[in-house]
Formats: sequence, C-alpha cells, structure tokens
Amino acid sequence: MSLPVIEIRDLHKRYGSFNAVNGLNLTVQQGDVYGFLGPNGAGKSTTIRMMMSLIAPSSGSIKIFGMDLNTHRTKILARIGAIVERPDFYNYLTARRNLELLGRLSDADVSRPAIMKVLGMVGLDTRSESKVKTFSHGMKQRLGIAQALLHSPDLIVLDEPTTGLDPHGMVDMRDLILELAADHKKTIFLSSHILPEVELTANRMVIINRGQAIIEGAVQDLLNAGRMKVTIETPDAALALSIINASQLAQHVHSSTDAAVIMMLEKSEIPHVAAMLSSAGVGLHGIVPVRSLEEYFISLTREAA
Amino acid sequence: MILTAYRVEMSKIFSKWRTFIGFLALAVLIPIVVVGMSMQGEQFFKFATAGLKDNFEFTGHLLNGYAVAYIIFSSLYLHVPFLITLVAGEVLAGEATAGTYRLLLTRPLSRATMVNAKYLSTLTYTFLLVVCMAGLSLGLGIGFLGTGEVFIIRQQITILQADDLMWRFGYAYAWAFLAMATVSSVAFLCSSLVENAIGPIMTTMSIIIVMTIISAIDVPLFDYVRPLFFTNHMNSWKFFFDDPVRWDRIVPSFITLMLHIVGCFAAAHLIIRRKDILT
Repeated sequence: MSLPVIEIRDLHKRYGSFNAVNGLNLTVQQGDVYGFLGPNGAGKSTTIRMMMSLIAPSSGSIKIFGMDLNTHRTKILARIGAIVERPDFYNYLTARRNLELLGRLSDADVSRPAIMKVLGMVGLDTRSESKVKTFSHGMKQRLGIAQALLHSPDLIVLDEPTTGLDPHGMVDMRDLILELAADHKKTIFLSSHILPEVELTANRMVIINRGQAIIEGAVQDLLNAGRMKVTIETPDAALALSIINASQLAQHVHSSTDAAVIMMLEKSEIPHVAAMLSSAGVGLHGIVPVRSLEEYFISLTREAA
Repeated sequence: MILTAYRVEMSKIFSKWRTFIGFLALAVLIPIVVVGMSMQGEQFFKFATAGLKDNFEFTGHLLNGYAVAYIIFSSLYLHVPFLITLVAGEVLAGEATAGTYRLLLTRPLSRATMVNAKYLSTLTYTFLLVVCMAGLSLGLGIGFLGTGEVFIIRQQITILQADDLMWRFGYAYAWAFLAMATVSSVAFLCSSLVENAIGPIMTTMSIIIVMTIISAIDVPLFDYVRPLFFTNHMNSWKFFFDDPVRWDRIVPSFITLMLHIVGCFAAAHLIIRRKDILT
C-alpha cells in the first residue's frame, strides 16, 4: 500500500480548558474521497485549520504526503488546494484577477486560458471580469473551488463546499468531486453537513464529535453494519403485521400504518421478510431501507453525547 | 518567492480606492497652495517678516519655488502620516477583516515571506507618497515661481542661497521617508495585533496625536519621555536647513526612528508568525 496522503495522530487543540480537538486520529489514502463528518462544534474546522497550518496544534502530529507539516509546510501546501470555511476573496478585484494573484503565490499557470479553464469548470467563465463584491455566496463558493483547483493540487480539502449552492449547483459540485477523484486521481478530503453528499461521493469517512473520532471506515461498510429502518409498503398492512408478529422477527417491528409496516432489520434479513410476506400472499409495493447516513450520524453522535 | 509575494501585495494595494486618497489629497492641496502663494504670496512674506523690518532690509526674490516647497513641507509634515495610516493600518488587519488570511496563508509561502512582502509593499507606498509630495512641491513651486534664496527664522535667521538648497531638500525628503516609514511601521504593528482594519488606523492616529501633544507641552515631567517619542524626532528634517547642518541633532533622531522601525517590524513578524488564524 502506498504512503497515506494524510496521517493525523493524537491531535489536540486546546483553548484554555476547552479541548476543541481531543486526540484525533485519521488516515486518508491516495485516491480516497474522504468524508469528514461531525455536528457543529465537533472540531472539524479546527482540524482543517490545523491541516492547513492556519492554527498550531497543541500536540500531536500531522503528516501529509508522508511529510511532517511542521517541517515541510510550504512543500505540502504547494500540493494542496483548499476551501476553508467561508469563501472570502478580495472583493475589490475581479474573479479572474483574484485567481491570477492567488495562482502566482501557488506557482500556478496564471495565463488567461488556464484561469478561464478552471472558471469554466465551476461555471463562472462568463463572470470572469466581474468584481467579486457583486457575487452571491454560491458564486463565491464556486470561485473558492476554482482557486483550489488552479494549481492542479494532488489533495483537495473542501470544507462545506456546497453551502450556499442551489440544488443545481449542489449536483454540479457532486459531479465535479466525483470527476476529480475518478478522472484526475485527486485525493479529496470533504467536510460536509450535507450528509447525503458524503454518502453519494465519499468512499471512506470518519465521524467526529467533541474533537474525537467516533467511527472511521468505508462508507458502505458503515452503512451496511447494524440494523436499519426498513419500510415495507403494502396495501395489506394489517395482514403483513400479523404475519410478522407471528414470526421470530416480531420484536423488530418499529411501527405501522394503514399502508406500511416499519421494521428495524439487518440487511441480510430483508430477503427473508420479503419471501415470508410474498408466500403468505401479502401484496408488496416495495421494501425501502430508509437508514441514511444522516440517521446513522445522528444515532452515533447522540450515543457519544 | 518574496518578489512574487511583493508584486501580489503591490497589485492589491494599488487596486484599492483607499490607496489613492493620499495621492489625491496631495494632488489637490499642493497645487492650491502653490497657486495661492504665486497670487498672494508677497503679502504672506510681508507678514512673516514684519517684525524684522526695523532691523533688516530684505532684498531679492523671497517668494520662490524653494520657499514655497519649504512652507508646504512644514505644513503637510504632520498631516501626511494620517494618509499613510489609511493604507499601512489595513495591510494585515484588512486580511483578517476580509477573511482572506485563509486564502493567503494556505499558499506555499512562509508566514515570514508574507509579512516581509507586506511590509515592503507598505514601505513602497510610503516612499511613493513622499516622492509625490516632493515632486509636486518642488516641481510646481519652481515651475510657477522659479528659484531663489530661502530665509528661515527659527532660533536664528538662516539665509540659504538657491544653489545651496536642492541637496538640503534631498536630505529632507529622505528624512521624510524615514519618518513616514516609522509611522508605517507603527501602523503595521497595530495592524498585526487586531482583526479589524479600522482599529489600527485609529490607534496609530491616536498615538501620533497623543505623542505630538505631549511633546508640545513644555512641562519638565515630559522631558524624560519626550526623547522616546518618535513624533519628537520626525521634525529633525529642519536641521538639514541649518548652516552648518546639525548632525549632532540628526544622528540621535535617526537612531531613535530606526529603533522604532526595527522594533515594530520585528514585533509584527513575531505576532503574525505565532498567530492562530481564526477569522
């Protein structure tokens, strides 16, 4: 296995007696789209600021591309593109001029075609000569992505990249993240509150709360582990309920309505339930697992709290 | 990398409207003073020499470009610092206010390089403002009124010949740059301490006002602190117009101003390098 792109070990950040980050460990491999989840105040932004060397850790180590951030800061930052929290720019400059100046500091190609290319990727090529002060929050967010991509970094750190985007923009952003990972082989570290975004884009994730990792692993493994809420949609809800109550699965009934029975099932139990109901002549409109990352996230962070 | 960062900083400074307020103020004020002096300057000089007429006879071309440049220099010397703080006070704090520290400090350049580039660009702006003041004062003054002798009344009366003046103005404007660089450095330090761009501008202006007032009050108690105030040494440009030049007064002032510059810059460096960027 190649060297991890990000390796964080026992990271702490203390503000007085408050531990914003409290012994965080995580590992991001090359090519990962790594979801970084946690409720407000969990320590996500503090961690990202430490990764970008905007704030100094109280203790612990951060290695990126196998190099220690303390001793190889500029070498590391040359290979990272990032949006950290709000997308703030020099409002008195145009979008193109902002990218030109920032690109120069990253030793990027700041020729007009190169800048127009990244502006085109985020749908801002027609507004390249507009001053940023005329931009909406969503447009600034897109410009933030553009500045992160300009110097063709190996690692892209995105802190809440879809905040302020309209639904169309969110889909575009998701497609862009998938494209960057699949076609350009970028490693992406994605912090987000939009949990379905992570579910749809990330292959691995960590959930943090109170500055600590609660769980880390492959997104699908984490989602498929344990019981999930399953809605059995049927016109014969009463019959279905009586059959289930007579079986060994009775204890897993969550609730029922006139048109559905809701159960807490493991993934492997779903085919068995379907077969049992079908053989009893219960008409089925659908069996829908409704456990999302959101529910998983909430249950985990509640447990931790 | 420092050169790239410096160019970027200069581009940013000269993309802001605020930057041009200082140049605009000088470009409006100096021509007004020159035109006013060329139209009614004789009355000004009659008034200025009224007390001396009983003992001295004034001949020659008293109203000339050098004399007007000297008057402008004396008058604007305490006002130009306020123009400088508008830019210097915002250089670091402006990034915090706008939230652009996050953009800037996630680039592959060290914080030391960033601070150096910002400081150099601040000094460049200061230099250009002093050059603008010199060019307009001397250029318009000589253009409108020609050259001539300058008589200076301080503790003694000094009369300086026309061919003995340009080098003195050269030194005086170089001193002006040093003094304004001190103001810039104080504003730069204030700018590193806070995250609101207005704060350092107001703080630097307040420091200048307070120090100037204390320096002007002739109370023995203040004699001990007065030499420590940089404002007290900014006026040492006048010693270049003494004959002979008062190097005994200039050198201590030079050292004091340099200590302020180095101290403020070093402190700002230290603060920014250790600062957690939370904005």
